[in-house]
Amino acid sequence: MNPQALMDGLITGSMIGLGAVGVTLTYSILRFANFAHGEFISWGAYFAFAVAGALGAVSGAMLAPIGPFSFGWALPIGLLAALALTGGLALVVDALLFGRLRRQRSTVIIMVMASFGAALTLRSLLEFIFTSKPAYYTKALQIALPLGGGIRATPDQLLSLGLAAVLVVAIHLLLTRTAIGRSMRAVSENPQLAGVVGIEVRKVIRVVWVLGAGLAAVAGVIAGLLVQVRPQMGLDLLLPLFAAAILGGIGSVPGAMLAGVIVGLSEALAVQLIGAEWRAAIAFIILVLVLLIRPQGIFGRPE
Amino acid sequence: MTNPQQALSTQNLVAGYERDLPIVRGVDFLVATGELIVILGPNGAGKSTFVKAIAGLVPVHSGTALLGSADITHVPAHEKIRHGLAFVPQTENIFATLTIEDNLRLAADILPRERQARRIAELYTTFPDLAARPSLRAGQLSGGQRQMLAVARALIVEPSVLILDEPSAGLSPKIVAEVFSRLKAINKTGVTIVLVEQNVKAALAIADRAVILVEGRVRHEGPAATLADDPVVAELYLGARHDRRAVS
Repeated sequence: MNPQALMDGLITGSMIGLGAVGVTLTYSILRFANFAHGEFISWGAYFAFAVAGALGAVSGAMLAPIGPFSFGWALPIGLLAALALTGGLALVVDALLFGRLRRQRSTVIIMVMASFGAALTLRSLLEFIFTSKPAYYTKALQIALPLGGGIRATPDQLLSLGLAAVLVVAIHLLLTRTAIGRSMRAVSENPQLAGVVGIEVRKVIRVVWVLGAGLAAVAGVIAGLLVQVRPQMGLDLLLPLFAAAILGGIGSVPGAMLAGVIVGLSEALAVQLIGAEWRAAIAFIILVLVLLIRPQGIFGRPE
Repeated sequence: MTNPQQALSTQNLVAGYERDLPIVRGVDFLVATGELIVILGPNGAGKSTFVKAIAGLVPVHSGTALLGSADITHVPAHEKIRHGLAFVPQTENIFATLTIEDNLRLAADILPRERQARRIAELYTTFPDLAARPSLRAGQLSGGQRQMLAVARALIVEPSVLILDEPSAGLSPKIVAEVFSRLKAINKTGVTIVLVEQNVKAALAIADRAVILVEGRVRHEGPAATLADDPVVAELYLGARHDRRAVS
């Protein structure tokens, strides 16, 4: 086995993990599987692409590579803008669709179906605006650095891994050490009691949308930087995201990240051992096995 | 016109989950400041729905609810605690996956930062059982300890009125006596208490006054001591003969 598969798996896993953290947060608070979450990944990537492109058009210096990386300051600024814009997009989708359904006390299956509809609409809109032709943040080629043990990684890849790790620790601390984190855990367990205690549940829901969509945007920008930007990129990650969220245990941020890495590594190993055509099947196999053997996931508690 | 001594009142309150099927059908209710009042009645009388409507958890279709002189009829549930109205639901009244400390901090989060730690410390003094293991998950507490945590959480904000929906449900007689003795002690500190109860004997023993709801309407009210000695009221409104024996 080529040890490089470990690095490939870690990089894919970090993208899956970030997306899965968003899925697990929205699932535990809103109590439905949001199949439009993948589209926040795509929209995040395109928001950053549009903002970085506009900055680059205004000033060519913004595109000059920063240190060892392949991108200029336009991309980090585009990422920050994408965080806000994708969070805003999630709030708009909630206001137009999910919020109305919640007020009507719609069943979970209605919410899930609505999320399918939202996903199709968001994806079509993206293709309409940007076309389905792949786009790139940068065309610069990077040389992978040897890390020892036959493993190599580019500076962009190492930065992405570091960014994903920092974000997961930050979200974990937010949930466990802050007032808004306590409120989120309380709403996740019992929204009615949370209201009685003085928590504004609608505010918590808004925070969760922005947080989940923001993480999806980061995952999208990482995927766009390391691979390419396509309207289908979120859809391609959707099954691995759900596999990781369920494997990690719904509601567990560290669980989602760890499970994302496990799914990523499994995919990379499958490519090495049985062929690239089986890559997509791995997430599905993991999902089915977890549901059969340990439905509460790694860090979840049995009902 | 409101009485300055009234802590909580409702006028012709109509409430229920569906507008055309009200469960509470025009309740006039008044609690004086510092009183401990118990709401009794047979199953399905609308006792829990009535207090949930006051707490903002069940839609109010008409009528008004006043806390002191403030109209809280349509104030959202999460705002009522800021007005001084605390509510302890009958079941699932603590966050079982959170620690004791986090349950209390959650309630304290709405206080100014400088008061939060002090209030939690004061509640730990009042409820030493909770202070012994603050990092224990609340789901691991016994039934009586859970009720104490729920009451402590409700008291964090120093409410003027505390409403409890069947705090004795599922508890052994010994624990019920302990919980009710604590409630009486809390009431003596000046907190007005509204208690919904099925445990007639224990509730009347600590209450100043009782109100009997039947089919969503007030059918009888009076001093708890008088009511406890009234076999007709017990027979008619409190259900089984067992209850009559309980109040006699």
